Amino acid sequence: MKKGNLISSTLRLALVLAVICGLVYPVVVTGIGQAFFPYQANGDLAHLGNATIGSYLIGQSTNNSHYLFNVRNDSASGVDPDITVSSALAQARVIHNSTNISIAYLDSLIHNNTRYSMFFFGTAYVDSLSLNIQIINHFHNSIAVYGKIYDRVNHH
Amino acid sequence: MIGAGYLLITALIWATIIAFSWGLAKYLKKVYENEKTFLDKILNPLENFIYRILGIDRSKRMGWKEYFLSLFVFSVFSAAISFVVLAFQGMLPLNPMKFPGMSWSLALNTAMSISSNTNLQHYNGGSSLSYLGQMVGIQFLQFTSASSGIVVAVAIFRGFAGKRDNNRNLGNFYTDMVRTMTRVLLPLTLILSLILIGLGVPQSLSGYSLVRTISGSFELIKVGPVSSLVSIMQLGTNGGGYYGANSANPFQNPSPITNYIELGAMMLIPTSMPFLFGQMLHKKGEGRTILIASYGLYAIDLAIALIPLTTLGPGMETRFGGFSTVLYTVTTTAFTTGSVNTALAAMHPLVILAAFLGMMIQATPGGIGVGAMYMLMYVIITVFIVGLMAGRTPEYLGAKITANDVKLAIIAFLAHPIIILVPTAIAYATGAVHTIGLGKGPVGFTQILYEYTSAAANNGSDFLGSTGNTVFFNVSTGIVMWAGRFIPIFIMLAIAGRMSGKKRSTEVALRTDNLIFPAILIVSILILAVLTFFPFLVVGPILMHLEGIRNAL
Repeated sequence: MKKGNLISSTLRLALVLAVICGLVYPVVVTGIGQAFFPYQANGDLAHLGNATIGSYLIGQSTNNSHYLFNVRNDSASGVDPDITVSSALAQARVIHNSTNISIAYLDSLIHNNTRYSMFFFGTAYVDSLSLNIQIINHFHNSIAVYGKIYDRVNHH
Repeated sequence: MIGAGYLLITALIWATIIAFSWGLAKYLKKVYENEKTFLDKILNPLENFIYRILGIDRSKRMGWKEYFLSLFVFSVFSAAISFVVLAFQGMLPLNPMKFPGMSWSLALNTAMSISSNTNLQHYNGGSSLSYLGQMVGIQFLQFTSASSGIVVAVAIFRGFAGKRDNNRNLGNFYTDMVRTMTRVLLPLTLILSLILIGLGVPQSLSGYSLVRTISGSFELIKVGPVSSLVSIMQLGTNGGGYYGANSANPFQNPSPITNYIELGAMMLIPTSMPFLFGQMLHKKGEGRTILIASYGLYAIDLAIALIPLTTLGPGMETRFGGFSTVLYTVTTTAFTTGSVNTALAAMHPLVILAAFLGMMIQATPGGIGVGAMYMLMYVIITVFIVGLMAGRTPEYLGAKITANDVKLAIIAFLAHPIIILVPTAIAYATGAVHTIGLGKGPVGFTQILYEYTSAAANNGSDFLGSTGNTVFFNVSTGIVMWAGRFIPIFIMLAIAGRMSGKKRSTEVALRTDNLIFPAILIVSILILAVLTFFPFLVVGPILMHLEGIRNAL
């Protein structure tokens, strides 16, 4: 094979594949993904009222408040939304003391949202953002602090 | 009870992947031996159209030199396309976040890194790459480096299989590349992308949005073409993530289920290579030998990493827990993928030691295509050693292994420690290590040794991340990554070219298709790796481990 042919053919192959793999493929996947799984494809967005307040997959700091569950801040991603069940149970006591929300309600919330790192065993954990949103939705009319948070988000 | 559960999960993953890989290998054989498949009706016209654009003679078969040269020149061009996109993304479309272009040394490092299947990342993609940068700068090269690995393995298998006309039977680089894309990688990544989107991985081109969180602060929702990238980065054993935190980031790896799917994805194609080897040779036992040896080494790796009984701690993700984190770390280095779902600095020194072993051996089972290539290199060295002990001329697959074959295999083997240890020494001698704030102790040494080991093994996991973004580390690791990629490929293609022309005898002096040979192979690989790297492991992770024991007393 002549050198000229090799250079022109390999260059063309690189350009063709850049278009197919770099443009056509991700755009096609985006089209199908948006059509069939719009919620997941756009990042599992979480809402309070009409406002988008984040993604269920991305943990949110609550500034060490005693009214809501706090995320851990030493994870690998830095945005891990999940906390262990033992940490959640301990935090539930703090939340109970600050807000008078019953321990029974908080414990059952944790219990109902528990998942495991190995499907049915391993680390038991809960999504802190999901718990917080459920608490806010449950109490936003009855407890001042959640009303305030709810209002702030709604007015934004 | 729990220990048994962990082993059961591991066994289930292995059995599932081996079963899928066996099926995939049967399909791959059809693809590379031009047999009819159900996709022909759709794909033949598309492929013929591409061949016309390339202006190639598709019936032409190449010798090893032409095959290598085509691959190398193609890699230069594709890396150049990526370099231009990364360096000038600020002026290019699909940049809703208005990110500026990369510096020349970072763009060079990134293009060399992704094109060599390494995916060492001195940048944080989520906060510095435009959508075009992620798609054409990164995803495109993840496809081409993955398919390069597969076609190299296939060309080498053809050479080892022999027969056909002299020295020109390694196949046609262009048709191999095109068919790998259209018939293997694109269909698999399409399916995997859609599964991952369904399980929560974003796929969007609509830009980042700013939201107000429940506590009133602001947060950027960094969605993009994530799923299409994650699927090729795992299936292609690339490992370069969309985000800085890689597979620890919940958008890239949202749940335990996606974690296991992404884990299995990186194992799939490398595990199918030994089966393909056996099928292309029409000697299934020879493929089994490669498979047993590589999974045997993988098991040893995993056993070392599981000694400390890691539980969930800082630097890990809650949803994965301790065991899955260790399993992922060992697997990502054993298959030289390099995506990580943890902060490596948080891992026990013995886990890091296991990670080093995977990257130093590179065949446990190793990266896509090249893992099987390295195993064949070890086979040649091993039949030579066994031949010496038995006082016979070494043979493999009925062909005589001559002194020149062994010399070539040894050069390919020695290239690895040289391109790891020489740059590590230079990094210390020039003071480059201290400019990024790393000290002289075992922790700093481990991080620098890991950087070059990961670069040379085309793995890509690292401790440094964006702290490695200095001209010295960008350029030096760039050179190491390309040397680690193309020197062994050049030599092993040369050996395959030599093997293809050799006469085959039917008498077998040393059987390599039984259960004893893989055991010998494993021992000889471990001895070679230990003899080469042990002193450096001692002053790195082993010293860290011993200091840990002393401090605990």
